[in-house]
Amino acid sequence: MLRRSEAIVLRTTPFSEADLIVTTLTLDYGMIKAFAKSPRKTRSRFGSSLEPLTYSKLAFWGREDANLPRLTQSDIIKPFQAIRDRMDCFFRVTEMVELTLNLLPEREAHRDIFHLFLSILDMIEGDSPEDDSSVLTVLLYKIRFLDMVGYGPRLEGCARCGKSGYNFYISHGSIICGLCAKGMDAPMRLSPGVIKSYDTLRRWDIAKIGRIKLSRMILSELSGMLDTHIQYTAAKPMRTKVVQS
Amino acid sequence: MTLGIIENLINELTRLPGIGRKTAQRLAFFILTMPEDEAKAIAKAISEVKERARFCSQCFNITDAEVCEICRDEQRDKKKICVVEEPSNILVIERARFFNGLYHVLLGSLSPIDGITPEKLKIDELVHRVQANGVDEVIIATNPNTKGEITAQYIRECFNGHPVKVTRIAYGLPMGSDIEFADEVTLSKALEGRRQM
Ligand SMILES: [Zn+2]
Ligand SMILES: [Zn+2]
Repeated sequence: MLRRSEAIVLRTTPFSEADLIVTTLTLDYGMIKAFAKSPRKTRSRFGSSLEPLTYSKLAFWGREDANLPRLTQSDIIKPFQAIRDRMDCFFRVTEMVELTLNLLPEREAHRDIFHLFLSILDMIEGDSPEDDSSVLTVLLYKIRFLDMVGYGPRLEGCARCGKSGYNFYISHGSIICGLCAKGMDAPMRLSPGVIKSYDTLRRWDIAKIGRIKLSRMILSELSGMLDTHIQYTAAKPMRTKVVQS
Repeated sequence: MTLGIIENLINELTRLPGIGRKTAQRLAFFILTMPEDEAKAIAKAISEVKERARFCSQCFNITDAEVCEICRDEQRDKKKICVVEEPSNILVIERARFFNGLYHVLLGSLSPIDGITPEKLKIDELVHRVQANGVDEVIIATNPNTKGEITAQYIRECFNGHPVKVTRIAYGLPMGSDIEFADEVTLSKALEGRRQM
């Protein structure tokens, strides 16, 4: 059966001499791994269309339950080359890719996640190198993505009694108030600014996110909390984090 | 029992990249009918490679000595280093007979998502080599794909503030192809890298 969908390339893995296994986030079928014959050859008809982050129209062949459907066509809608041309930006975006690969189940359509991913790429590509807000934009993706897959940390109040507080417990993915936390390990202490910014990033219309300016301190505190939460949730370290530090 | 032996060979051959069960069967039965000395020569070549092949201590090319033939060659321009991802890339560039400098093999390309971080590649060794030998040009010939390109950018940054000239092989359309079949990225890169005639 031939299926078509808009898709974003997340990751490519070389396979035998000139082939690729391509992991894509498709609009209609969710995250799918597919096999592409010979794209690494100089004269492949795939050209550059299977490079990571490329937004394209894909056609793939294989039964619905086929282990590895075969890519038959890929027409670029938007290459997002500008992101790949800027190493720092690209590394940041690979954090989004890694998070998605780790926490999104394969073959489950999530149109909201697809659209989110695409909007974020658009926002990052639109930044000028002098005014690079990709740190914030990637953070926004992480927050929204976690919410969409149901792994978001709970910061709006104590997980047990609902009372507001600032002590975040990684093992519970939540704020727990002093009374309810009796006998538990040491928490991560969050500042009120972080809790407020998190809430804003979660709820604001994405089109207005450009207006949000977070201080360097809030940004790094919030990123730190979120990345720790992500590593705990995914039960493995974030590989893409290492390069940038 | 005979089938057990041939089955074993088939299984071993399927370990090779690009060799499926069918090809392995064909190869195995071909080997079976080969003259004994020819078949043994293959086996010997394989075991020799495994026993003697190692990386050149300077450029990380494959060699059977401490320093590879290219690094030892007095005729070559030691002020130019061409950086490639894999030893097999050297063979291809050598075949083009255009470059007469030395090489440096990174043994991979940057891909954090696959756990390939800069320290897993021979990048520090490159920087050290360039500084220690007064090299005046580093030509980055990593693959023209995302991993190769990011690796090139990373290496470029490593030489910031260093007098060496860092160049990147040009992006272009494959010779013998038709412009009509080029995709937009390839085409825009080719335009970006145009030169005066
Ligand atoms: Zn409580
Ligand atoms: Zn050498």
